[in-house]
Amino acid sequence: MSNVNPSSALKPNSFVKRIMLVLLYKVFWRMIFGLVIGMKYIWADHVALKGPVIYIANHNSHLDAMALMTVVPSSRIHLTHSVAAQDFFGSGFKRWGMLHLVNAVLISRSRKASGEDPIEQLDAMLLAGRSLILFPEGTRGVPGSMGDFKRGVGHLASRHPGIPVVPIYLDGLYRNLPKGRNMIVPFGGTLLVGKPLVFSHEGVDEITNATQAAVESMALELKNANRLT
Amino acid sequence: MTKLIDVWGMNAEVQWVIFIILGILVFSSTAWYILGKVRPSKLATELQVRTKSWWIMCACFILSTVVHPVITHLGLAFLSYALLREMYPLLKLDLRERNVVLLCYAVVPVQYALAYYGKTEIFLAFIPVFMFVIIPFVLVTRGETQGIVRSISLLPYSLVAWVYGMSHLALLFQMPEIPGFTAGPEGLLLYLIFLVGMNDVLQFAWGKTIGKHPVLPRVSPNKTWEGLIGGVLSTTLLAIGLRFLTPLGIWEAAFTGFCVAVAGFMGDAIASGIKRDVGVKNSGNAIPGHGGYLDRLDGFSAAAAPFFHLIYFFSSAS
Repeated sequence: MSNVNPSSALKPNSFVKRIMLVLLYKVFWRMIFGLVIGMKYIWADHVALKGPVIYIANHNSHLDAMALMTVVPSSRIHLTHSVAAQDFFGSGFKRWGMLHLVNAVLISRSRKASGEDPIEQLDAMLLAGRSLILFPEGTRGVPGSMGDFKRGVGHLASRHPGIPVVPIYLDGLYRNLPKGRNMIVPFGGTLLVGKPLVFSHEGVDEITNATQAAVESMALELKNANRLT
Repeated sequence: MTKLIDVWGMNAEVQWVIFIILGILVFSSTAWYILGKVRPSKLATELQVRTKSWWIMCACFILSTVVHPVITHLGLAFLSYALLREMYPLLKLDLRERNVVLLCYAVVPVQYALAYYGKTEIFLAFIPVFMFVIIPFVLVTRGETQGIVRSISLLPYSLVAWVYGMSHLALLFQMPEIPGFTAGPEGLLLYLIFLVGMNDVLQFAWGKTIGKHPVLPRVSPNKTWEGLIGGVLSTTLLAIGLRFLTPLGIWEAAFTGFCVAVAGFMGDAIASGIKRDVGVKNSGNAIPGHGGYLDRLDGFSAAAAPFFHLIYFFSSAS
């Protein structure tokens, strides 16, 4: 792919960075989540996905991006980028950490700010075979509750039919690292990986609603599974 | 008794019980597999999942017991930590009390270190005396008094129930030398774990087969008088049969077995009450077929301290 937007995240990742990401997420963070935080991973049965994937999840804590990176297969971890807000992570150490430790791509939340359409930037990345991690709520929101999805995921999935959208529900991570705090206190949690959704010719709103419904139904399923009758 | 194999300096008594445990696991795995093939049912599948989890739990426990006491202490400390971590979100603590929760977690390594270095007097007083004052005081220093009675009651309770109780399993390693007793602390630990584990299984089995009259219908509808009495009696018999792991005589073993079975039942009932109040079926989802850590360890955390004191009493009296 040579005609794509020369975004910084599209530079080929070095072998060293790949090894670093695997050690950081598949070993270090996986152990933190499994042993210290005590997060339970529950996987829907599905075949291993090849090629680009769009992961979407609800968002309540800075730990969410780390948790999702532990779910991405090792073979594609260097090709998977969390999508983060330029205005929040735009400068200093935060920016450096997001680009190099989280392997994130920073976009502006509004089109006016940069004059560049963030969706087009992400489009180019999917075309180049990269996977994306999106938090369609757009912000961490109210602890423990889920806001409405923004239409970005609908735009991306409708422009790239055939790229599967994997819905992920994160339960309880907001207790471990709430908004506005910077110390992790372990409180457990659950990460549910749902069945991939594949769209062919659905509209933007239809896809957005379907993905939101998928995450909401996973949340409800988890809640009902352990409810006393 | 003769040693079967010579590895890690394991003594003969412990080896025999490990072989009994493996035998029971092989038997039940085979039985539930056949049951599932001949007459597939929800119960058969549940039993298969449960037995599979028992395999993993037994493997972890046996390995951590026989390799080195340090590993045993670390493993037990992890279980206490996992219990706290699992229960705090359920107990709906004020999220602004995170620092105090962190202090409660920090109590766990201290308590197990006291056990490991044999500081028995401080060990016995650390949580119920010192932390009982320190934790409420730290809560007060936040300057926020609304709902503080709840936190003052909950946090020390959680430490006593799930750290202090469990840590008595580690204190078994500090039992004074008893002449003529060769099974050692590993033997005592294995004895208690085997009894409480089998007590749960036997109460479940008696209840499923002949159980009719509920003991605590509003707390835990599945517990029946038949299950309780059958379980306690069979655990008592088991305690007599396995007393080669302990320095106990036949009547002492029977009494210890009886107390362990009743304490196990009590721990189970208390946990059921807590879970019912917070509105969940299981305390978590860490162990497939069993639920969370508390669902499996409720009996152990209640029976560990009584067991330790009974053994100590009987071995120092004789």
